[in-house]
Amino acid sequence: MPYADKPLPDLLRQLRADLKRTSADALATLTRPRAGLAMLSVTLPRALCTARHLAALSAEALDVADDATTWATHGTNVLSAVRAATNAIAEHVDAPDDFGRELVLTQAGQRLLVALGRDTAEWFRDEAAQPKTGETNDASTSASSDLDAAATLILMVEVNERDEMERIRDHLRRFATDDTAGAFVRGLAKEAESSLCVVLESIDSGHDANEALAAAAECVGKAVRARDEEEDAATRAPRIISAAVAEAATNAVPATDAPTPTSAAVGSVTMDELPEGDHELISEFIMECSEYLESAEAALLHLEIAPGDLEAINTVFRAFHTVKGTSGFLGLHDIANFAHEAESVFSRVRDHEIEFAGGIPDLALGALDLIKALLAEVEIGLSGQPMTRPSNYDAVLQRMASVAGSVAPAEPVLVAPSSPEIIAAARLAIVQDEMPQDDASVLREPRSAASELSIRVSTDRLDRLIDMVGELVIAHTMIAQDEHVLAPGQHELAAKTNHAGKMVRELHDLSLSMRMVPLKPTFQKMTRLVRDVAQGLGKQVVFATEGDETEIDRNMVDALSDPLVHMVRNAIDHGIETPDARAAAGKPRQGTIRLSAKHAGGSVVVQLRDDGKGLDRDRIIAKAMERGLIESAAKMSEAEIFSLIFAPGFSTAEKVTDLSGRGVGMDVVRRNIETLRGRIEIESTRGEGTLFTVRLPLTLAVSDGMLIRVGKERYILPTTSIFKSFRPDREELSTIAGRGEMVRLHDQIMPMFRLHRIFNVPGAVLDPCHALVVVVASGEQRVALLVDELIGQQQIVAKSLGDNLGKIEGVSGAAILGDGRIGLILDIAELLVLVRGGDTGTGAARAVA
Amino acid sequence: MSLEPGAAAARTSVRERCGKFLTFFLHGEEYGLEILKVHEIIGMLPITRIPRAPDFIRGVINLRGKVIPIMDLRTRFSMPAADTDEGCIIVAQIRGLQIGMVVDKVSEVCNVSPDEVEETPSFGVEVHTEFLLGLAKQNGRVKLLLDIDRVLTLTEFAAANVVAAG
Repeated sequence: MPYADKPLPDLLRQLRADLKRTSADALATLTRPRAGLAMLSVTLPRALCTARHLAALSAEALDVADDATTWATHGTNVLSAVRAATNAIAEHVDAPDDFGRELVLTQAGQRLLVALGRDTAEWFRDEAAQPKTGETNDASTSASSDLDAAATLILMVEVNERDEMERIRDHLRRFATDDTAGAFVRGLAKEAESSLCVVLESIDSGHDANEALAAAAECVGKAVRARDEEEDAATRAPRIISAAVAEAATNAVPATDAPTPTSAAVGSVTMDELPEGDHELISEFIMECSEYLESAEAALLHLEIAPGDLEAINTVFRAFHTVKGTSGFLGLHDIANFAHEAESVFSRVRDHEIEFAGGIPDLALGALDLIKALLAEVEIGLSGQPMTRPSNYDAVLQRMASVAGSVAPAEPVLVAPSSPEIIAAARLAIVQDEMPQDDASVLREPRSAASELSIRVSTDRLDRLIDMVGELVIAHTMIAQDEHVLAPGQHELAAKTNHAGKMVRELHDLSLSMRMVPLKPTFQKMTRLVRDVAQGLGKQVVFATEGDETEIDRNMVDALSDPLVHMVRNAIDHGIETPDARAAAGKPRQGTIRLSAKHAGGSVVVQLRDDGKGLDRDRIIAKAMERGLIESAAKMSEAEIFSLIFAPGFSTAEKVTDLSGRGVGMDVVRRNIETLRGRIEIESTRGEGTLFTVRLPLTLAVSDGMLIRVGKERYILPTTSIFKSFRPDREELSTIAGRGEMVRLHDQIMPMFRLHRIFNVPGAVLDPCHALVVVVASGEQRVALLVDELIGQQQIVAKSLGDNLGKIEGVSGAAILGDGRIGLILDIAELLVLVRGGDTGTGAARAVA
Repeated sequence: MSLEPGAAAARTSVRERCGKFLTFFLHGEEYGLEILKVHEIIGMLPITRIPRAPDFIRGVINLRGKVIPIMDLRTRFSMPAADTDEGCIIVAQIRGLQIGMVVDKVSEVCNVSPDEVEETPSFGVEVHTEFLLGLAKQNGRVKLLLDIDRVLTLTEFAAANVVAAG
């Protein structure tokens, strides 16, 4: 007897746990009879053993006798139901006749479900009503239990059990006369009751009562469901669980969406308290776990495309395993238990016992999310606040357990050791010992590799380093331009300064690159998003990414993520049509969304392309006119019309959905991107799709700039945007209507803008033939800027103009020049908008004629 | 500037209007700025003009590697522009942001007690007084106590900024 020395309350808990597990196993049996039976054959005897032992013990121990006896009775009842059903399944699992087999399975399944559902219901009710005395139960509860009892009995009753049937009828009658229940439900109960009367009569008269019994059963079932619907989900969660479980089982997929309504009830369970011990270790653990989970998520999404990829399965398995091992060791039992189940599921996937199909991907992703949530809670816990267990913890855990079918409870957890050496040793031990032989190799290799290749540095330090190096660059430039260094006869000094300059620049490049991270995690997030959103909208979407190794400043990654989320959602919601609509339009049923990134001209270009229905030009115009954004679209270019969707409050969606259509999305997108000094452009062809192009600077710290002079003022042009500069001849210049100036470069004619006019600079060279034309490129466009002279190239560290200045049009930031003064960095794209767009602002008004 | 003159002063308690003030001269008038808001006082530095900015923004300066906008208080208060030899920049720090203000001359740090403070009289629309916390009479002189937050937040920029960010 393994339980001999355990106290009663422990046994009770054990029984509950066993029951839960058995229920889960039994459920699994329904979908995969053979594997499920194997599991049941282990869990069932164990649970039975506990139940019997408990019953025996409870007779002696009076203090908990009431509770325990009830439980033992429950337990044994349920277990015998389970056993009966199991036997039925076992007998018929190999039956040649498919129909018969199915029938038996269904019947057995229903019985199981009712038994289990009721068990769960009882369990929750016990929890709720403590101390539990028969008298305190209110009328509605007792009425409800009548219905429950009837529901339970009717599915178990055999046609020849007359007494049983009478009991059912009594239950139903009691329920039907109780006015706490809704009229509709009572009506159903009455109907069931009369059916039962027919059954009884049939039995008495020797007729076949099966049909009438089935009718009665159906009525009761309906009544139970109706009542559950009527009742508040929060207070009646247990019954909803049983309903949900039943529903899930009929769908023959491990339950996926069922537990949602229960969350409210199960929520706010306090998590285990944070164990005493090294909080630093825990925060390190959280960081480590997040990494593992991220790679697991990537692998899971990959698995959906290539379900057989062993490497990906191993990655997921490893992630769960590591999380389990470490969290268990740190005393985070909630996480450990959870990860254990997840691991079990995946060990079965790996061993080809179950396929990565059906509800498994959802389950696994759900599990990942849950572990993330748990980790977030632990993080909260670290700051000393109470932790709450995510509301769907139990639900997901149970579903996993049902699939995992593992026998062993969560592995015992070590007591927290005191010294770091022991910790390290113990950690290693966990890693090595808990693993089955073949897993060890899988696990050890990447761990050691990772630890050798990188170290963690806090971003604060990194940012400070980069700032300091930036200052160093400036300081060096000041030295290099010092008159003593530049003086004739100072070759030695100049050479040394030059040498130092090279090192400084290299150091600067290096420090900037330290902050560069690939876009991969961001793209991966989108992969997940596409999957979930498309599923939610019933659309079929293939998501392809390209260039996710493109690197971008870490500070920009997060800021890029939000607008991308909006855009991707929009693309699925508004862009991609439903499969039927696509088929009707002669397109493949699956829509394609392609997210790509690349470096181009000193910036990062992120493109999002969908092959959906494209933007509706006419509707945008209509909507914009309705909103008073424009008066007529007569002179607007395609691009200008499309960019109307970025106006605040603009939405052409026919109906507002959860995802998009509220019109808050796109203006936020543009604002976010502009904060990053980026731009967004739209191209769209009706019926063929839309392409969003986002251009962002590589980093917010620009590295190369060309210093130019206009009048007495100096500005910096990003070197990457300069295409060519030359002093124009008279015949290369021409005007339109005497005002619009143009310059010809080879065969290309481009508009020329005078910087001194745009910026209202006095004292600039007015004759273009004595000034300098700088051809700058912005996107596809090329325009000429008239400046006085180019001073020279310089390494610059871009700084923001300060938050209290707001956005200065045409200026992207400032940099400190060699003489310590500030030079403004020009933003070509904005300058173009400034001179082109119907800007009636200060600049144009004040421009020197 | 839709706010009624004196509204700012009416909202501020006496407690906020006393304490130590840094006083400076602007077109012959003596103004006071809460000492806690003053970050530092620096001599004139070369200022880089910012194109297309309102005229009371003189530009930006490099303060030990930081870019700080400079406001011309004379222009801000619609006084005739004039650079004096003693002109300097008071760098104020408000809600973590630094902003410099060009003033004619820094005077002294004085203690203003509650009984020396008076409400700003109303002049109707002719004279804007919403930048003032109140008036302090000391040694026969009147010191105008600046509500620096309002000087800054009521700027057109800040308004533009709010639109951009909100």
